[in-house]
Amino acid sequence: MPEFEAAGVRPVAISVDAPELSRDLAHKAEYTFPILSDPDTAVIRRYHLLHMGGGPDGHDIARPAELLVDSSKIVRWTNFTEDIRVRARANEMLAAAKQLR
Amino acid sequence: MPDATQRGKNTAPWWGFLFALGAIGCNILFFVSPPLQGALPWLSLLFALLALVFLGTGLRRAFAQAHVYRGKVLSVVLAVIALFPLGLSGFAFVKARELPGSTAAPQVGQKVPDFTLADASGQPVSLDRLLAPAGSASTSQSQAQAPKAVLLIFYRGYW
Repeated sequence: MPEFEAAGVRPVAISVDAPELSRDLAHKAEYTFPILSDPDTAVIRRYHLLHMGGGPDGHDIARPAELLVDSSKIVRWTNFTEDIRVRARANEMLAAAKQLR
Repeated sequence: MPDATQRGKNTAPWWGFLFALGAIGCNILFFVSPPLQGALPWLSLLFALLALVFLGTGLRRAFAQAHVYRGKVLSVVLAVIALFPLGLSGFAFVKARELPGSTAAPQVGQKVPDFTLADASGQPVSLDRLLAPAGSASTSQSQAQAPKAVLLIFYRGYW
């Protein structure tokens, strides 16, 4: 995380999880970045990242996605995995972050 | 016709079993997120196919070519045991890739929509605020000036 900070990038996590769940996650994993809750998927829908019925009990969740958004809210880099097992690695995201000027 | 002592060892079932373990092993590797992990699903699939080929060869040798090869019991036992990791690998491959497309999502060069969402402590946080100098953000990041960018990480969550 200090590396992201040094690159001037603020990571933000978004899921359908309730704030309480996110708090547990942040505490356990010692995350210092904001973890936001979108329980009714309003923002996930706005970003067209809804995975309908993707949760184990069939409710809607977000598909995994990473977007690097600059200060004028323009997307500079994206990663949309086609396999939930394959996630963006921190060093890939960091490399994208360092390319920003 | 060669007698029992002259019949060859049937190693194909062992290779099949090994590849089946390799197929499931690829799935375990995801947890350490190695470089080139994008190739792992395909490697897993390749191992599973090789496992099927070798197990099939082993069975065929043991039964259709029983005069040349030994290992009837072994080839059946290994094939049955291997079905479990093979089935699991196949299931994981299909399930993990059941993802909606991303073509409608914001692409490079496009502007993203604004949002305001509750953070882990229930406080509303907007995109504007995330792009503003820290201190105003919910967590205690010691960024004096505004960040150059935010990295939005959408994830499946723990439900």
